[in-house]
Amino acid sequence: MSSRRSILIGVLALTVMAAGCGGGSSSTSGSSGGSSSASSTGGGGKGGTFTILANSNWGTADPAKNYTLQEWQLLILTHDGLVGFKRAGGTEGTKIVADLATEVPQPTDGGKTWTFTLRPGIKYSDGTDLKASDFQRVFLRQFTVPGPANGFYEPIVGAAECLKSPKTCDLSKGIVTDDQAGTVTFHLTAPDPEFLDKLGLPFAFAVPGNTPLKDTGNNPPPGTGPYMWDHYDPNQGAKLVRNPYFKEWSADAQPNGNPDVIEYKFGLTVEAEVTEVENGTADWVFDPPPADRLNEISTKYADQAHVNPLTADYYMALNVNVPPFNNLQARQAANFAADRAAYVKIYGGPSLAQPSCQVLPPNFPGYEPYCPYTTNPGDGQWHGPDIAKAKQLVEQSGTKGAKVAVVGTTDEVGKALTEQVVADLNAIGYKATAKLLAGGVQYAYIQNSDNKVQVGYSQWYQDYPAASDFLNILLGCGSFHPHSDASPNISGFCDQTIQDKMDQALKLGLTDPAGANKLWAEVDHDVTDQAAWITMFNPKLIDFLSKRVTGYQFSPQWYFLIAQASVQ
Amino acid sequence: MLAFIVRRLIGTVAVVFAITLLVFLIFFHTPGVDPARQLAGRNPNPDTIKLIRHQYGLDRPLPVQYVILMKKLFISRDLTSYSNQGLKVVPAIAAAAPVTLSLVFGAAVIWVIVAIAMGLAAAVLRGTVWDPILMVLALIGISMPVFWLGEMANLIIQSRYHDSFLFSWIPPLGYTPLTSDPWMWFKQLLVPWLVLSVLYIGLYARVLRNSLLETESEDYVRTARAKGISERRVLLRHMLRTSMITFVSLFGLDLGVLIGGGALLAEVVFGLPGVGLLTYKSLTSLDLPVIMATVVYGAIFIVIASALVDVAYAYLDPRVRLA
Amino acid sequence: MSDVAALEQPIAPLPEEGIGSGAVAGRSPWELAARRLLRNRVAMAALGLFVLIVLVSLAAPLYAEHIAHTDPFVPNLNGTTEVDGKQVPIMQQGGGALKLGVTPIGPTWHSNFFLGADNQGRDVMARVLYGGRSSLLIGIGSALICGLVAVIVGLLAGFFGGLTDTVLSRTLDVIWAFPVYLLAISIATVLITQGLSVGPFSISASSLWLPTLIIAVVYVPYVARPVRGSVLSVREKEFIDAAIAQGASNTRLMLSEILPNVISVVIVLLPLMIATTILTESALSFLTIGVQPPQASWGTVISDGQQLLYTRPWVAIAPGIMIVLTVLSLNVLGDGIRDALDPRAKRRIGRKAKA
Repeated sequence: MSSRRSILIGVLALTVMAAGCGGGSSSTSGSSGGSSSASSTGGGGKGGTFTILANSNWGTADPAKNYTLQEWQLLILTHDGLVGFKRAGGTEGTKIVADLATEVPQPTDGGKTWTFTLRPGIKYSDGTDLKASDFQRVFLRQFTVPGPANGFYEPIVGAAECLKSPKTCDLSKGIVTDDQAGTVTFHLTAPDPEFLDKLGLPFAFAVPGNTPLKDTGNNPPPGTGPYMWDHYDPNQGAKLVRNPYFKEWSADAQPNGNPDVIEYKFGLTVEAEVTEVENGTADWVFDPPPADRLNEISTKYADQAHVNPLTADYYMALNVNVPPFNNLQARQAANFAADRAAYVKIYGGPSLAQPSCQVLPPNFPGYEPYCPYTTNPGDGQWHGPDIAKAKQLVEQSGTKGAKVAVVGTTDEVGKALTEQVVADLNAIGYKATAKLLAGGVQYAYIQNSDNKVQVGYSQWYQDYPAASDFLNILLGCGSFHPHSDASPNISGFCDQTIQDKMDQALKLGLTDPAGANKLWAEVDHDVTDQAAWITMFNPKLIDFLSKRVTGYQFSPQWYFLIAQASVQ
Repeated sequence: MLAFIVRRLIGTVAVVFAITLLVFLIFFHTPGVDPARQLAGRNPNPDTIKLIRHQYGLDRPLPVQYVILMKKLFISRDLTSYSNQGLKVVPAIAAAAPVTLSLVFGAAVIWVIVAIAMGLAAAVLRGTVWDPILMVLALIGISMPVFWLGEMANLIIQSRYHDSFLFSWIPPLGYTPLTSDPWMWFKQLLVPWLVLSVLYIGLYARVLRNSLLETESEDYVRTARAKGISERRVLLRHMLRTSMITFVSLFGLDLGVLIGGGALLAEVVFGLPGVGLLTYKSLTSLDLPVIMATVVYGAIFIVIASALVDVAYAYLDPRVRLA
Repeated sequence: MSDVAALEQPIAPLPEEGIGSGAVAGRSPWELAARRLLRNRVAMAALGLFVLIVLVSLAAPLYAEHIAHTDPFVPNLNGTTEVDGKQVPIMQQGGGALKLGVTPIGPTWHSNFFLGADNQGRDVMARVLYGGRSSLLIGIGSALICGLVAVIVGLLAGFFGGLTDTVLSRTLDVIWAFPVYLLAISIATVLITQGLSVGPFSISASSLWLPTLIIAVVYVPYVARPVRGSVLSVREKEFIDAAIAQGASNTRLMLSEILPNVISVVIVLLPLMIATTILTESALSFLTIGVQPPQASWGTVISDGQQLLYTRPWVAIAPGIMIVLTVLSLNVLGDGIRDALDPRAKRRIGRKAKA
């Protein structure tokens, strides 16, 4: 009897809030405040086992396919790319450095050709040698496995055809390799200022040339990093041990790690995980600590907790093609009425979230603080909702009394945020109701234009530090795929003037990054004025470590650098 | 007896078939559920979704997909999960089953013994002050959500009073196989057993109490008393058996479901990697292969339990014919 | 005269008319049962408690408006309230060096936020009171429907045996083994995204019938099985043979002979089931079938409280107490009803029978 009840109640209470958090997430936090951890280097000694707890596993372990930060933090330890993000904290961590390549090249041929020379003598964890031709396999797999963001690599010659027809995929013109000389040359159809960033993602990491073309599932192929996979059991855990063939060749790109073994365990509730770290039986919790432990952590275990801002947005997408928010004034009204202080409280208070009105997160390339939707606008910060102005705009728009359904998720944070937005809209004259769907279902549902979702709750975390990763992917005309479940431009926003500016900024990025960033700032400004979203806040991340861990570093791209910490 | 077994085997097949069909239909008729979209990842190219749809055979007609799913589940047993293409479902369930069995059998032993004791006590002590006290205890037990009770137990044992003399011997949450370290196996399961059994003791004790009071007025009880048999023998040897019919009916139902993965909240809250936890994860991620496999697994046990209960009736009450 | 002659004399003059039937009217068994029940003080007290719970739940709007002065359906994260004369924020920021997290105010034991606030700053006491309406309706409604259907199914299966029993029992197995959660997600998604109409009725996601019927069906096997088991036992008893010999029809056998003897199984199970049905309702509300946010039910308050276990345990405990009280009162009442219906059950085991 209670068993039946159990199955039903089974969904309660446990879902970690990040419905959209599974994607590649990293941040370019850098310099300024909020981070209560200095980017201290070094740490204690080498050796020992670093134990990590997580509630769930990361799905498939194949580096060509996995798109979770959870596994990416491990893949950077077991595999390498031609280039990589510097393994350091702070803004240093956003820099691209040479990894398997001897140096970061300058592109030739108007930005369309990139030639890399491999370092000699690097071996995989199974003893075989790294060859230039391995990279043919790496990118072919992006189209045969297929990779979840293989659109990133479309600029490679031949890739567009591979996307359509993987069976006949031929990248031999796009990627030219010479095993004797150890060179890998990419030919692109058009210059891509973000190409290096994309090469630094695990999708592009080296795997042996005979790696199967299909998903390798729970057995990642051998890699060149300081650690290797001992095993991965999605129901129990995973283990990384030292790679006997690894010799450090670049402390910036791939430093040797401190712990001898990294042990990952799945299956506990987040409450239990926090308790274990408090008791010292585990070293780190991957999941964010639950709300009712935060006070305990900040009072009794404050020196074991580190808080860092993330380059991520929590937002409500307003559908610009469906009433009432196809009306600009209605959208602006909603933004004026949004009680961002309440949203921040729901997420855990000002120490865990920062209100935002715009698309780009702080400290991101192209970010300039801008918030028009507040009382006393002008300094780029949000101060408070302006209900009077909101009501006035609602009247002017003629949408007063419209029925609005806000589609959120059933997890605790999603539910509370959705209900708060509903209350905010009701306060200015709409008739809003909350509609909650389970996380996975909701994410696909709000993207499909057929569902005519008026307001949809979502989050976005960066893939790599480039403004287009937010603005173009989430609000670009090309990202709106009507009638499809895969349309990251949830609002359906498409403004040709703004799009032209985005295209211009993309082109400019290769030759004049500073100029491009200024353009991106303008795009951010314009898009915010068009109010396609109610941006709620930028979250921060708490890393809760056990007492014995030293040498904590937070990289904006990979977050907590596990192997750089010490447990002995 | 043979006819009985044959009939039940046919029944099992029918039940499993019906359930798989229902699960399959419901899954594919839920709007917004598109396994290809889920499999494709966070930001896929529409072409990628098409490719995946083809790779997984999700573009074939539903009846074909059903047959293929059943074949992979039962015959070739290489069915893989949607959330994790490296996870073979049938071995995963086989690995998780001992955990659930350990949890459920331990809890069942506790709750049966305590419930019988409580039910007997409540029936005998009827009219005294103990009856209402036992009843209130029983009702508090069944009114507590298992997740809440488990978390409270963790809060007290693992967190707040972890270092105290009472609880410091209790290890961190998890599961150790009986074969590798029996003492650890026991220590890690003790609290889960107690928590899980609390939810059932109350119900079973009340039910048994009621059955005993009913049986009291039977003629054979009066006869036994008239023969001069002591009250204790009357109670334990004559009344208890026939009073167990309802008790056993419920036990069969509950045990069947629990073994099949129904203890999922207990497994979740105590971090036990059993079938229940698998079920829970598959439901939250709408992973059809795992859902299907766990449901089939559970259905088989439920039908077996139901057959065993019918056999038990014939034993408990000699008048009953084997149904 | 001989004694025999004396015996043949009438003892007293016979009355001229018979005594009218009105003077010695018997009472029907139902009347007798009702009188026994009313005389059972404990059962009456339990009934009183239950009525009190119902009244208190119905009075929730009065409490919210006049005593607590809150709207328990609107989030109230930025608000303040008065405690000991001072204005205190409802959501209090974490302490220590990092000031992480926000904790809702705890029980004030006064008219405002008597039991404290939940994660969205709403008055827990008011929500628990409002919650009673949905929970009682769904919990008791589903238990009654379940009981009714289960009795019918159990009777038919146990009495007829053979193919009827096989079909019904295997159907019960399917229901019991069925992943109701999957069905619930599916229904919730359909309702929220498309809406559902069956014939002329349009089913809305907030209709309380949905969770009531779903829960009722889910637990039919749990009640029907014991009923069936009991029927299997009772039908072999001698008085059934006697009734058959008298020419009783199947219907009469089932309803008049067997049913009264198995009804106590249902009577004891149903109040116990209500605890379960109320708790199961929380899962369905979580999936937004039935009680829609921001409406409250005991189940939803418990699930809200589970996020606050380490800091504000009262949020989860208070509805639990209400559930225990409801189930307790109904159980005692159920005991009383059973005692009233079956006078033989008054005898205590192990003691001498009272006259």
